[in-house]
Amino acid sequence: MLNKFIIVGLALPALLLPGACLAYILFKGLPALSWSFLFSATEGTGFGATSGILAQLLGSLLLALAAILLATPFALGTALYYRLYASKRQQGLLAGLLNMLQSIPPIVFGLFGLIVFVHLLQWGVSLLSGAVILAMVIMPMLVLNSIASLERVPEQYTEAAQSLGLHHSAVIGRVWLVQAWPGILTGQLLGIARALSETAPILFTATVFSGVVWPESIFSPVTTLQTHIFYLAQEGSNQQVIQVAWGSAVVLLGVVAGFALLARCLSNRYEKTQRLGVE
Amino acid sequence: MLRFWLTFSALTTALVIATLLGFLLQASWPLLQSQGLSFVTEPEWYPYEALYGLLPVLVGSFWSIVLALLLAVPTGLAAAILCAELLPGRGRAVLRFSMELMAGIPSVVYGLLGLWLLLPLLESQFDLLTGRSLLAAGLLLALMILPTIMVFSETAIRAVVAEQRQTAMLLGLDWPTRLLRVLLPQAWPGIRIAILLALGRAMGETVAVMLVVGSLDRLPQPLYNLLQPAQTLTSRIGREMAEAAVGSVHWAALIASGLTLALVAMALSLLIQRWR
Repeated sequence: MLNKFIIVGLALPALLLPGACLAYILFKGLPALSWSFLFSATEGTGFGATSGILAQLLGSLLLALAAILLATPFALGTALYYRLYASKRQQGLLAGLLNMLQSIPPIVFGLFGLIVFVHLLQWGVSLLSGAVILAMVIMPMLVLNSIASLERVPEQYTEAAQSLGLHHSAVIGRVWLVQAWPGILTGQLLGIARALSETAPILFTATVFSGVVWPESIFSPVTTLQTHIFYLAQEGSNQQVIQVAWGSAVVLLGVVAGFALLARCLSNRYEKTQRLGVE
Repeated sequence: MLRFWLTFSALTTALVIATLLGFLLQASWPLLQSQGLSFVTEPEWYPYEALYGLLPVLVGSFWSIVLALLLAVPTGLAAAILCAELLPGRGRAVLRFSMELMAGIPSVVYGLLGLWLLLPLLESQFDLLTGRSLLAAGLLLALMILPTIMVFSETAIRAVVAEQRQTAMLLGLDWPTRLLRVLLPQAWPGIRIAILLALGRAMGETVAVMLVVGSLDRLPQPLYNLLQPAQTLTSRIGREMAEAAVGSVHWAALIASGLTLALVAMALSLLIQRWR
């Protein structure tokens, strides 16, 4: 009996901390939220202390969406290759490489992007550089998720389609994607949430502190919520600035949670139809 | 056409890894040329006098990771056992959901929490001039890797087959014995992977650590002093990358730090795959 109490005691931080963290963030950040805070992009005086965060919100979303658009064709292509053409050996190799790519810390992709995109290709600190870097960061999780979704398509469906003499493209378009799209889309939504949470790789490759509301072209820098919080957090002297940082944190958390919840709803619904299909 | 596209996309993964390593190696060449591999063990980092030693940040990274694991592994494992063995279905769902929620908080928000909640606490508790220290970094990292350890361990414990549990129960073993002699040994391969994944996450974490570690490029005095400002591998790259002139030895040294990070992370990933 004593043993169970020890387990509960040890687990206590894990039980209490998630709620405590969330409550503290909301407690600090909610008072900062207002209509003008969310939907104005005016350049305030005093290091962002009085301005709205519309520009940062747009920048974060733009970067994440661009990243997912860039990564999706390659991710889906890789997953389909894995299912369609790869031999057992190639599958093992591909899975190994994907896991390896996933293990590389995001900051290293930032360095790589800084060398290649910002300086070598002369894209500069820009939306495009950041989007390509984030696309590389989220690519492995997209591929692994798509592979898992495709593997859940019942084997009989594939066999039936193939025995009808359908071409590969028809099997993919008419059977696999029709069956697996909710799972794949769930992965895309989680990918967006992940791209929205990354700060380190875009810190010196895609963003500036202020002066941008909507980037003029893909070669212009953007401002993002993540980097905004990062810069504001370090302005210790001004309490108002910290207030804006907490407010931005709540907004960022809300957007990330929104995409994650959407993904959860989608996968719940999907799993249910799967179960019905089995019956 | 279709086949060409699919093959090409499948090759991009290998291509990205190869070009990434290639460019990082090429960019860190000036440093390797002037110092060889000895920069890894040099104890001084002082760009203005062309001293580029990685030892202080390696020690910093080591302590912050060890501290994070020491705190997060027992807690996460206990939570996993609680979740898999003791809680009823509803409590289990709540606990898992709260862990997923915690994993979803962006790292910069953890940084904000660390900077404005953790540091003042440490300052008043330990009577420090500044709370920025390896201790703060370790505590914050522990918080961030807790969900990884808990979720993966829980999956591993639940995967222990029913036969083993039933046999243990038929033998009349009490719960602590069943846990320590049957469940944990059976789940250990999964648990050690959880720990390694958490280690990788802690090693690569940048912005949160950057905000609380203090960014002081010196070996801790003495080596086990965790209450001083210090620097980790990632926090140095984040702090100095914007200042270094492109192509200089300083730049090359920072890229070499990144390359070191990438190589260690990839070795870790190979180990995980071998154990899987």
